[in-house]
Amino acid sequence: MRKWLWPVLFLAVYVNLVVPLKSFMDNRPVAVKLGYLPDGKVLRYTVADQKPLVAELAVLKVLFYFGSLVEQWQNQIAIPPEYYNMYRMIESAVRLDPYNMDAYYFAQAAFTWEVGHAEDVNHLLSYGMNYRTWDWYLPFFRGFNAAYFLKDYQSAAEDMKRAAELSGSALFTNLAARYFYEAGHNDLGIAFLRAMVQRERDPKVKKAFSLRLEALEKVKQLQSAVVAYQKKFGRLPSQLGDLVNSGMIDAIPSDPYGGQFYIQPDGKVRSTSSFADQTKRRVQQ
Amino acid sequence: MNGFSHILRATVVGLLRDRVLHAIVGAGLLILVLVPLLSGFSMRQVRELAITLSLSCNSLVLLVLAIMLGAASIWRDVERRYTASLLGLPLARHTYIAGRFAGIAVFLLVCGAFLGLCGCVVVWFMRTEMSAGLALNWFNLVLAVWGDICRSILLLALAVLFSSISTSLFLPVFGTLGIYLAGSASQEVMDYLATEAGKQLPQATRTIAEILYFILPNFSVFDFKVYAVYGLATPLKGAMFAAAYFVVYGGIVLLLAIRLFSRRELP
Repeated sequence: MRKWLWPVLFLAVYVNLVVPLKSFMDNRPVAVKLGYLPDGKVLRYTVADQKPLVAELAVLKVLFYFGSLVEQWQNQIAIPPEYYNMYRMIESAVRLDPYNMDAYYFAQAAFTWEVGHAEDVNHLLSYGMNYRTWDWYLPFFRGFNAAYFLKDYQSAAEDMKRAAELSGSALFTNLAARYFYEAGHNDLGIAFLRAMVQRERDPKVKKAFSLRLEALEKVKQLQSAVVAYQKKFGRLPSQLGDLVNSGMIDAIPSDPYGGQFYIQPDGKVRSTSSFADQTKRRVQQ
Repeated sequence: MNGFSHILRATVVGLLRDRVLHAIVGAGLLILVLVPLLSGFSMRQVRELAITLSLSCNSLVLLVLAIMLGAASIWRDVERRYTASLLGLPLARHTYIAGRFAGIAVFLLVCGAFLGLCGCVVVWFMRTEMSAGLALNWFNLVLAVWGDICRSILLLALAVLFSSISTSLFLPVFGTLGIYLAGSASQEVMDYLATEAGKQLPQATRTIAEILYFILPNFSVFDFKVYAVYGLATPLKGAMFAAAYFVVYGGIVLLLAIRLFSRRELP
């Protein structure tokens, strides 16, 4: 009996300790969960021959963190994301392994739409294009960013041409021509996101792309209705409710990011959520 | 059978029976089994991650084995006075050191080849998974495993060198580890010195770095992982330089170890 006393006592203490400990670990600040990775230029000197492994681990860590953000968006809860730290970790990863496609892919998925750092992402993509000389994805991404976010159509056309040459298909040339000369801004975004959703295999990143696609498709629907309204009545609608009252649309669609669509004085449709622009959203305490 | 063969055989047989080493190699095998599961976390380069994990696993196991065996074997023999018994027989000191080194090197070769083969099997199963690299290059994969084995044997030679002069286990273990880290970074330092920022450094710093570069082993020479992971063009010239560097540098370190051990006063 006596010989079981200490083990049972320790087991009881352990159980009482481990439950609050788990709760504490689960509720650590997101910045602590993401952690910190030294600059890739410095890290290269210390990781010996394990550069590809360390680079991939850094990307996966950021990806898991990003996954938790997407879940929060779906639940209409906003948390302050560590975008700067995330970007630095991805940058460190490509300094360690400039061939790592996950890093470029993630940078394109997370730092253009959500943060608006298309220029920084394009610097990263330019760096990667020096190494991944066979890969059409990088010029495709860079070209899209140049056209959609930076409005630099000449660079975009050159990158799409490069993507067409590397992929061995004229698809990108055709797409570039159509996007740049025939279609509007939203169409460009929708076409890009549809292509990404189709190819994406990671459920978290796919979810992020799908949310964005759904939002843009709804904006496009509303924007088309605004144009039709203007044609019919010779003036812009003062609010989106006018579109419903005039029978242009059945109902105002809901913003997948939890905001409310509204119409600007210049007729552009926007949302109060700014599509997950975290600075304008409720911050979870 | 001469003295060298006896020592070599006894060393290999002893290591093959060592349960601690079984556990280390077993841990490596366990990681390899988990590679298909872990690779699935990648977004666009599942196959590349599988190759990275397989090669890293092999590399880390060989690193641990090289430092542990190289540092401990001769030190333990001296500490337990086995050398006194052995060298009392008609056996030269250089034969003893060379035999011990060769025995451990054969063991590292066997372990590296075995884990490398297991890694190749894992990669074969993952060969059709999503990839963002060029076509899978099996020769590069074998080259990367060979590079890791060469690096670990060179590291072993350094551990034997430290072990042959030290009366404590700390110098062989931490000395070898320190040389490994410094030797892995030396090429990076040279690359930095070639940049504009590096050229701004004081001349004395640059000279010291260059001297150290030529004295320290350059382990980057044996690193072919990126070529294997992304299926880049095989660096044949680099492989030939690595082979020559391995023979020459390894030979110098081993000769130095033999020379120093021959002059050492043993208990």
